[in-house]
Amino acid sequence: MGSTFMGLETARRGLTTQQSALYTTGHNISNANTIGYSRQRVNMEATLGYPGTGLNAPKIPGHLGTGVQAQSVQRIRDQFIDRQYRQETSKLGYWETRSNAVSQMEDILSEPSDFGLNESLDQFWSSLQILSTSPDDASTRKVVVQKGIAVAESFNYINKQLTDIQENLKNEILVSTTDINSILKQIAAINEEIQAIEPNGYMPNDLYDVRDVLLDELSNYFPVEVSYEKSGGNALAIAEGSMNITIKTDAGPINIVTGKDFASLTANTGSTTPPTPPTPITDAEGYQPFTSFTVTGSANGNVKSGEIKYDDLEANKGQILSLINSYGYGEATAETGVYPEMLKNLDELAKAFAKAFNDVHITGSDLNGNKGQDFFVNKTDENISTVITASNIKVHSKFEKDTSLLAASTSAPNGNAEPGNGSNALLLANIKSKALLGDTTTGGLSGATIQTYYQSMIGQMGVLGEQATRLAVNSATIQLTVANNRASVSSVSLDEEMTNMITFQQAYNANARMITVVDEILDKIINGMGRAGL
Amino acid sequence: MRVTQSMLSSNMLRNLSNSYGKMSTLQDQINSGKKITRPSQDPVVATKGIGYRTDLSKVEQYQRNLGEVNNWLDSSDDALDHVGQAVIRLQELVTDAANDSKTSDDRKKIQVEITQLREQIQDLANTKVGDKYIFSGTNTQTPLHDGTNFADLLIATGLNKEVKMEVYDGVEINVNTTGIQLFSDIDALLGEIETSLGDGSAGTVISGYLTDISKMQNNVLEKRADIGARQNRVEMMENRLASQEIIATKRMSENEDIDYEKTITEMITQESIHTAALSVGSKIIQATLVDFIR
Repeated sequence: MGSTFMGLETARRGLTTQQSALYTTGHNISNANTIGYSRQRVNMEATLGYPGTGLNAPKIPGHLGTGVQAQSVQRIRDQFIDRQYRQETSKLGYWETRSNAVSQMEDILSEPSDFGLNESLDQFWSSLQILSTSPDDASTRKVVVQKGIAVAESFNYINKQLTDIQENLKNEILVSTTDINSILKQIAAINEEIQAIEPNGYMPNDLYDVRDVLLDELSNYFPVEVSYEKSGGNALAIAEGSMNITIKTDAGPINIVTGKDFASLTANTGSTTPPTPPTPITDAEGYQPFTSFTVTGSANGNVKSGEIKYDDLEANKGQILSLINSYGYGEATAETGVYPEMLKNLDELAKAFAKAFNDVHITGSDLNGNKGQDFFVNKTDENISTVITASNIKVHSKFEKDTSLLAASTSAPNGNAEPGNGSNALLLANIKSKALLGDTTTGGLSGATIQTYYQSMIGQMGVLGEQATRLAVNSATIQLTVANNRASVSSVSLDEEMTNMITFQQAYNANARMITVVDEILDKIINGMGRAGL
Repeated sequence: MRVTQSMLSSNMLRNLSNSYGKMSTLQDQINSGKKITRPSQDPVVATKGIGYRTDLSKVEQYQRNLGEVNNWLDSSDDALDHVGQAVIRLQELVTDAANDSKTSDDRKKIQVEITQLREQIQDLANTKVGDKYIFSGTNTQTPLHDGTNFADLLIATGLNKEVKMEVYDGVEINVNTTGIQLFSDIDALLGEIETSLGDGSAGTVISGYLTDISKMQNNVLEKRADIGARQNRVEMMENRLASQEIIATKRMSENEDIDYEKTITEMITQESIHTAALSVGSKIIQATLVDFIR
């Protein structure tokens, strides 16, 4: 038979256990709005019955319960949903960033509108038409020169703005890399803490939560894979252990965090022809296409050093790859990437436009009967008209000073002047609908007209943007569904907590009542017994 | 499925922001009158839009060109009308002067008027549209007659060249009438008549000029008929361009303009949905079990 005071102890255990459950409920309510917090539960367990096994165990009828104890405090979390969430986050990160990059490009090209490059070209062609009807009028000549300058400046402006955004993208790559490194370091630090706590038999639930939030952030940048390593010592079976992280690449997983050791990443630029060793991308101005990440491992060798090449990065996943795709990668001369391609197309258009115009212009003759000269030239050296790009196209300054130099006439070059002959101006105006033969290296547009080439540039950009926006919306929807599933498991429901609160409070009260009952029993024994006849 | 407050509020927030997004798109559409504001919303509409814009601006430019064409043709016609009248007057004077009853004094008086006619023809040869001499071919800055002589074809090589203007894709109209031959012929004839009237030539000599005069008359009429024919062509072109403009505008509008009735109705529907979402949301969010436990 148990001791006289056994009931008291049982009820006391009940009190403390219900109290810790009540406090956990309080903790849950307090953290109802904490990002990444998962609700916690006290795992209660009945204490070992009385009597225990043994030769000298007293004989009583049955195994008498001895109360309850809080075995552990566990967070409610589903790791499969977490995994799914991270996969979707990687996709969302990719498409959202891409959609953003294309959207900025659209803002700059501003088509369709009444102030884009197309409009300034239209106005230029129109001014040439007017010139063809009154070629000897100084004011129409002035207008043509000014509209020509406007076209050249539109090219310059678009090129400058696109290059600026490209620079911003590069900075974003650098900042993101720094952020990634900081996350890796933080996760490693938390791992270290967890490794210190778990062997003592504790569950560092809140540290797990913080670590998972960091991992969510990381999966926005990269597709990651995690595995866990159990802590030794007296760790609970449900303890999660320290986290090992690998980046998923097509060349196999690359380890970046093992326990308290972590790697750091550096974004590199380089070239294969001629081969140059990869050098870190700097924030100095200039195009430095991405080639690889250098993984610098830990000093003790637990995390190995290595390299992640561009081709190894998993396609269509992670913000960092999206930034790289927008900014440009591979060989500098290959001009691969969303922005480099647009800039290249713009250069080709400017080059073809200038060449087609100059070619016609120099066959005509000006107001004084002299042979026409190059109209569009290179900004750096006005005497060069061959190496023209969107960034350096300009109207030769002499035309602004003397508009009579415009070759609007088809009269024999260097012969007698024909001021009323506007046929060459008409030929110039009709370049608009002329198929420019020859490939882009020779200044042609492979048979496209200036208009159709530009149209296809805009179309291509539109399709890129449409795809990115659609997929961003899609992955956002899926991510939200997964996030809801996760919240359904882990987030704090106030109603539920209130109900639990009532449950635990009532249980606490009942335990207290039990103590009163035992107290009364004892009172009976101590004060009421053995006093017969008094 | 277990549903918690944070899920409710985050879902509500997302739905509200989606609803705002839809309203903002509709508002953009109503404000701009366009279906799309950026190419990614519909790349096909965007690229077509660029093409239609260019088509329209082309038609508008051709219409402006037509204005200039009309200016030239009307001015040329008007000037040649005056030339024709001068030739008729010349015919009258010469017929009158050919009478042998006329004394040399009478013929001197007629000669004075012929001199005036000659000056008038020289002035007409220098007819201008704006700053341009319209009878000087492509040498529009060179007067056909500089006060003493007609312009030299060896120096002003463009005198007999056509001034052309484009009025449609590949359709060019010759807007000028080359005047050097016509005016110098008339002027030379006038000169001869002037001399004959002064040097006491016989009436038969003077009446001999009448055939030349009627030849001149024919020349002028021929030129005017040519101008008239071209004016007809221009008129047809004007009509064609006007209908082209309507078609181009319509195509552009069909491609990218919104249907206002539809969009405004959608906007109102969206607004009421939004209001409903707000009121339902506020009700769901505010109550928890906390409110009912005492």
